[in-house]
Amino acid sequence: MWRRYGDALYTLLTLAVFGFETIALGVLSLSFLLGKASGIASTPVEAILLSVVISSASALALLGLYLLSYHFISAMRDRHQAGQVDAWTEWWVALALASPDEPVEGRNRLPRVAVDSVLSLLEAVKGEEGDRLKEALAGHGVDRQFLKRVNTGHLTARLDAIEGLGKARLPQALDALLTLFAHAKPVVRRMAARAAAGTLAVMAPEPGPNGPHARFIRAIRHADLQPGVVQEALLLLETRAGPILRELLADPELPHTLRWVALETSGRLGLADMADQVAASSTHPDPELRAATFRALRRLGAVPEEAEAQLLRAVEDEVDFVRVQAAHAAAFLAAETAIPALEPRLGDPSWWVRRAAAGSMARLGEVGVAAVRRAAENHPEQAAREMAVQILLEADELTPAAARLATGVA
Amino acid sequence: MQATPRLTDARILVVDDERVNVVLLERILDQDGYRNVKSVTDPSEAVALFDQFEPDLVLLDLHMPKLDGFAVMKLLEDRISRDTFLPILILTADIRPEIKRRALAAGAKDFVTKPFDRTEVLLRIQNLLETRFLHLRVRHDPVPEGQAT
Repeated sequence: MWRRYGDALYTLLTLAVFGFETIALGVLSLSFLLGKASGIASTPVEAILLSVVISSASALALLGLYLLSYHFISAMRDRHQAGQVDAWTEWWVALALASPDEPVEGRNRLPRVAVDSVLSLLEAVKGEEGDRLKEALAGHGVDRQFLKRVNTGHLTARLDAIEGLGKARLPQALDALLTLFAHAKPVVRRMAARAAAGTLAVMAPEPGPNGPHARFIRAIRHADLQPGVVQEALLLLETRAGPILRELLADPELPHTLRWVALETSGRLGLADMADQVAASSTHPDPELRAATFRALRRLGAVPEEAEAQLLRAVEDEVDFVRVQAAHAAAFLAAETAIPALEPRLGDPSWWVRRAAAGSMARLGEVGVAAVRRAAENHPEQAAREMAVQILLEADELTPAAARLATGVA
Repeated sequence: MQATPRLTDARILVVDDERVNVVLLERILDQDGYRNVKSVTDPSEAVALFDQFEPDLVLLDLHMPKLDGFAVMKLLEDRISRDTFLPILILTADIRPEIKRRALAAGAKDFVTKPFDRTEVLLRIQNLLETRFLHLRVRHDPVPEGQAT
């Protein structure tokens, strides 16, 4: 793939020059090998050498000239391109910020630079201004061009079109993008998932089984997408993610991988009002999902009352990584509930559980810090005392000198 | 007592590597009456312009090549005295809470997520500038003790 103007010609020229030099030098070498050059200073050899030197010099001069011209023309072209981009940007910005009563002017055919420019602008602005730009794009038939290229043509052109649709966030392109979730090539599925999610993020929710959100959920459920791709798509839904995540988590038949992704995304987006839906997975038989549930609750900073008992049980879960996440989430319980559950975990065989337990206790206010301090001084196990001291040091609740005294480490 | 300046007299510095974003913000601000707006697309020029322009508000992109928004905030940190309220409004497409927390810890005062809504941007700018001018007013004309309501 040629990335810059003139690259193909440059390569051909370089090939020709070096090929020519190789042939000339090859002939010379062969002449020597065949003994024709017994008299190195003989006229034919001199003639050959001279022609090789002249041809090499001419070739290098040509190459140098080409390189200079190449860079000069490229720089000119870049400047011209930048000027065009600026001009189009100004035009699109003026159009976007014009009074809503002003008609959206049409231009017959938009050059590539104009389309790129408006797509960049659509990544920066939404609302009425974004709608005006989308209206203009549709008026010029850009959406139809993209939709046509999405379904036909070379892979590169197809990916370009998907990316364009993702930037433009055109509601009329959603179904075409959802169809691509079933495409044979993973890269197409991935790009389509990103573009569809970005588009859905700016669409008004429509309830019902045929609304865009329901169609997106069906496509996600039936597509062969990597968990990371699904998570990225769900994150791109931004403020529209809540209803979709709620519906996914409420589905008892949801595959484990998708449930894990939905839990992770709920936590990452900090959708605190989803704590109840998230907590519902706290009793799941799969430890990965139990851990994801408590990690999400920790990120949400909220543990619903109904999930408290399960969280306290999970602090003693048989799987250590579930205990870690549960211990972290316990920092969001009331101190009088959390501390009695966390204190025994300071002696947990897992370093990670001990650290999570001590860390959460230290975050539970004065009572919690006092409990960690007690553990630092009196806990029967050395590992627990050391962890308590470490946490107090990190929380600036202990001086290094006091820490040395407590642990007996010089 | 010093007269409170009009919001539209505020000096606003825009730092964003995307030319299209800069043009858009300049036009939005211009349409709303803000006349003292300067911008840079090269973040390494931001500090010099900051020193020269002495803005009342900085609109800063987070993800930029070479010098990102966090690095720019770090450079500005020494230039903004602790008792001054000089707001930095972050414009970013990154909606992850951890990024927001990191930016807030680095000195940002508010966020606008890209793609942004014109009205929302203007309201946030207005709110930050109002707070900025109230701070300046308090610094210049402190309320005597016992007169605060």
